[in-house]
This record gives sequence, C-alpha cells and structure tokens, in this order.
Amino acid sequence: MPPRIVTVRQNILKANDHTAAENRAAFRAAGVRAINLVSSPGAGKTALLERTLRDLGSELRLAVAVGDLATENDAARLRQWGAQAEQIVTGTVCHLDAAMVQGVLPRFDLSALDVLLLENVGNLVCPSSYDLGEAARAVLISTTEGEDKPLKYPTMFNTADVVVITKMDLADAVEFDRALCRENIDRARPGVPVIELSSKRGTGLDAWSAFVRGERF
Amino acid sequence: MHEASIALSLIDVAREVLREHGAARARAVTVRVGQWSSVVPEALEAAFPACAEGTPLEGAHLSIVRVPGVGECPNHGPVELDVTRGLRCPLCDAPTPTLLQGDELELDELELT
Repeated sequence: MPPRIVTVRQNILKANDHTAAENRAAFRAAGVRAINLVSSPGAGKTALLERTLRDLGSELRLAVAVGDLATENDAARLRQWGAQAEQIVTGTVCHLDAAMVQGVLPRFDLSALDVLLLENVGNLVCPSSYDLGEAARAVLISTTEGEDKPLKYPTMFNTADVVVITKMDLADAVEFDRALCRENIDRARPGVPVIELSSKRGTGLDAWSAFVRGERF
Repeated sequence: MHEASIALSLIDVAREVLREHGAARARAVTVRVGQWSSVVPEALEAAFPACAEGTPLEGAHLSIVRVPGVGECPNHGPVELDVTRGLRCPLCDAPTPTLLQGDELELDELELT
C-alpha cells in the first residue's frame, strides 16, 4: 500500500486541555476559585502564599497545592499557617500539568474551600503551556531579577491574568526601574493589571487580596 | 525544558490517529510550532527520537513548521511580530493584544505506512 498522508491539525496538548476542563468543572461545581501562581525560582511565590494565608486565612477558606521537583519543604512551610497544603512532587518534570492537579484533588474537600492556590514549579517557560483548569493565572516577577524578564519570557507573561511585582521593599537597593518593568510587562501582555507588593513588609497586599477573592482591584 | 513531555503528548495524539486510520506505523510526522508556544523546535527535535522508541512512530521523520507570531495592529492590520518587542506593531509600536497566529502547538500531518 502506498504511503498515505493525513491532515490532522490537532493540538498536541489536547489531553491536558481535556483534563484541565474537568478540573475547571470540578472547581466550578464546588464554588472554588483556583489560582495558578507561576514565576522563576525564588521570585517569592511561597512567601506571598504565606502572607496570603496569614492575612486572609480567617476570612476565606484557603488551601494550597504546591508543585516542586523534589522536596516537601514548601508544603511544610505553608502548613505552619494552619491551611491544608499538599505537595505535588513532580520528579524531573519542570511544570505542573492538569493530570498532576487532578491527582491531588481527592486529598482536598473542595466543598469546604473558597480558594485553592496552585503553586507551580519555579520556571518561566514550561508551565505556560499547561492549563491546569485554573480560574486565573498570576505571574510573579521580583524586583531583583531584571526588568526585561517579560520580554525574555513573553509566552509566560502573555498568559497572565495579573502580573505581580514582588520584593518591592528591595526596589531601591537594586535600582529597580519600575517604569521600564511595567512597560515590558505591557509589551508582553498589553493591558494586563499589575500589582506591586512586598510580602515581607506587607505593602500592596490590598490589591492582591482583592484578586484572590476574585474582586476588582 | 518540557519538550520531552511535548514529544510524549505528540506521540499519544499520533497513535490515536493511527488507530483511527487502521495504520500500523507512521513514516513521517509534521508539527506546527508557534513562536509564542514556548516550545523550542531544536529541543523537540532532539527529544523526539528517544521518546518514539518502541512506539509506532519509532524512526519516523519529524518536520517542524515554525509559525511566526502575527498580531492585529489597529493602524496596519495583521503584522508579523518581533518576539523581542512583545505584542507591539513593529511599524508603529501600537499594542496588538490579540495573537492571530503564533501560539500553535499542533500535530499537522502524518504519513502513514
């Protein structure tokens, strides 16, 4: 039989997208707002989550699923604040995917939650390809890592529903160019809302809290 | 580096197509990778042969079509974007928030045997 060429035109990640849709339906049915936090390693995802649990833990029913290549450290850090935190150890995989999130969901009682925070693996490339079923994606960039990150990693910033500039308490020390950073964010994702905060000092957290609640900010 | 994960997903989608067509193997596979897809074509090419080992795609030739980003400029209509400038018109720097093409990650064609 001669070779046959068939036109397929299918999304390679359709299996992930299918699972993400299932996750999204599960979150919606339970009334849970799922937020996917992505950033480079060390941008302050865990610190912001600790602050969030501390500030909003009495108002909202919060829980966290944390992706990490090897350790349980982040989940342990977050449990100190009294919230359920489950670790997803990804092994050698550099991102969370929808199936990993689906796998950890049975450990949560979704009906008893308002917000599920999904802390992705620290990586500004790979997580951008994988929809987890989240309602919103927050991309973090710290003042210490360079104003051009949004242009170096345009795909990640282009998927953001909000961009959070962290470590604002260090902005002066590292001569952070706030206007340039905001311009680059707007180039990568025109019109995306930007929040500037310091998890350590507790500044700028009103806007972040509103975003977590799903309110305008 | 998630191109091995991408290669495995590609093989899963291809196997499904092979099954639908009652074909045993694929000789060649073409994928479309957008410049905004966050997939590096060279890394996908490097990962694919090892991921395909022991599958109906083992030994298949992988062709990658690179799809440039195209945005809709309010002044110039569809324009090819320069990834280093973000979603801005290369002619007038106007924001082009919508990507008309360039975020593809698609299995385009399979040559069945």
